[in-house]
Amino acid sequence: MIQFKNFSAAFGERKILQELTFSLPANSITSIIGASGSGKTTLLRVLCRMNDRIENFRIEGSVFVDGMDVYRPGTDVYALRRKVGMIFQKPCVFPKNIIDNVIFGVRKKISKKDYPDVAEKVLREVFLWEEVKDRLGEKATTLSQGQQQRLTLARTLAVGPEVLLMDEPTSSLDPKSTAAIEKLVQSLKNRHTILWVTHQHDQAQSIADQVLVIEKGQVLPLSVPIVRPAKPASFTSVLQNVQGYPE
Amino acid sequence: MNAITAEKMVLAFIGCVTFLIVALLFSILAIMFIKGLPAMHGGFLFDESRDFGRAGGIFYQSAGTLILMGVTVLWSLPVALGSVLFQTEYLESGKFKTFLTQLTYILNATPTILFGLVGYLFFGVYLEAGVSWVTGSLILAVMILPTLQVSIREAVEALPEKYREAGMALGLSRPAQIWRIILPQSFYGMVTGVLLGLARAAGETAAIMFTATTFSGIRFPQSFSDPVPTLQTHILVLAQEAANPESIAQAWGAGLVLLGLVFLLTLAAWAFRTRMVMESEL
Repeated sequence: MIQFKNFSAAFGERKILQELTFSLPANSITSIIGASGSGKTTLLRVLCRMNDRIENFRIEGSVFVDGMDVYRPGTDVYALRRKVGMIFQKPCVFPKNIIDNVIFGVRKKISKKDYPDVAEKVLREVFLWEEVKDRLGEKATTLSQGQQQRLTLARTLAVGPEVLLMDEPTSSLDPKSTAAIEKLVQSLKNRHTILWVTHQHDQAQSIADQVLVIEKGQVLPLSVPIVRPAKPASFTSVLQNVQGYPE
Repeated sequence: MNAITAEKMVLAFIGCVTFLIVALLFSILAIMFIKGLPAMHGGFLFDESRDFGRAGGIFYQSAGTLILMGVTVLWSLPVALGSVLFQTEYLESGKFKTFLTQLTYILNATPTILFGLVGYLFFGVYLEAGVSWVTGSLILAVMILPTLQVSIREAVEALPEKYREAGMALGLSRPAQIWRIILPQSFYGMVTGVLLGLARAAGETAAIMFTATTFSGIRFPQSFSDPVPTLQTHILVLAQEAANPESIAQAWGAGLVLLGLVFLLTLAAWAFRTRMVMESEL
């Protein structure tokens, strides 16, 4: 599904990723861990060409998403970004109401009468529907950080991506919201290929099918198989208090 | 001299300078009010001027000023907005961006009489627009272009990168990002720029004096080649009749109206700017 072939990336002379060659299977969760500045975020961003606006960003080699050469001249970068959605460290909601935020990426692609149905579907998918169904007209900025992060995920899911790139999505969240996002990601695995950047080794171990360790722009040998705890007790107790979860 | 004494002296100097500037501003305002208020009779704003400006009101001059300013913005805003979006959203070369920014500042510092001269030769003579409101508005448009460009660029550049990235990550095309994220989020900055540009255009006399305006003989322009009466020209011509107290009183009255117009525009720009800052902090 995702394949790097001799892929290097640099900002000017400063090399960030070096000669990466590896593949990641579809419909799996891959955690990416590594020290700050090791190239984790850059690794995610090249998959949807988020660094195109940066003047001195250079790449060598190839990276493929579902057979599509991401950096081949002529690649439809907008179609690529709809196929490869990205969730950022801090949730970024637009200063609009909740429903407008959810349908922001598909507003011109669906008819107005379908807005409520699409919004409800993806809000249910991220377990946010029960919490916001009576306040869809309120500003999204009134939601908590954890809710905003789930809202940005719903907004991304509405576009219909096959790959989800998550750049430390829980780093600014409290434990309850973190658990909510982790649970949510597990539920999305069957339909999406997920890459999750984190600094927390225990989180990486508990949610991922494989863990990728990056150091100085290079991938260290994969630490598979993962020994996953049968049920993370600390999270379970938290999750029982999260509204909107299916039993 | 120790550091505390030096600091006190600097503080005293800064305080004196600030007081002087504020005092100067209030003196001008006070003089304008004292001299201008007697001319403010019931129909001053809505009556036609009579007896070569010595009596009556300033209705057509005010209307002419507003026409000139409105058309100026119509010319200038699309160009300023287009150049800002090209510079911030499409241009990738940092050096070329810096070059364009410097060029804007140079344009901003150009003496306005040069705009009038070059503008008249190009629009008035070469493009055969003559002495007309079209020529004047085009000259003013070029003149306020840097003010507009800088204000709009500041607003667009102040937009947090996270909004752009959120739009990109949703697969929005660049035009869609501009239309749906950048323009709405920069709206207040744009309005501020337009109001500041208008305030500058409203205060401008030299560039339009001989290229666009007339003192008498015209109420509203009837064609593209007609000049237009404006408050600036009205004030200047009346002020030249220093021996006639009625003319001078009318000039002060028109001056007060012009000052009020500029003051209102600046106040509105300030209000919009405050709103913009508050929105960006969301």
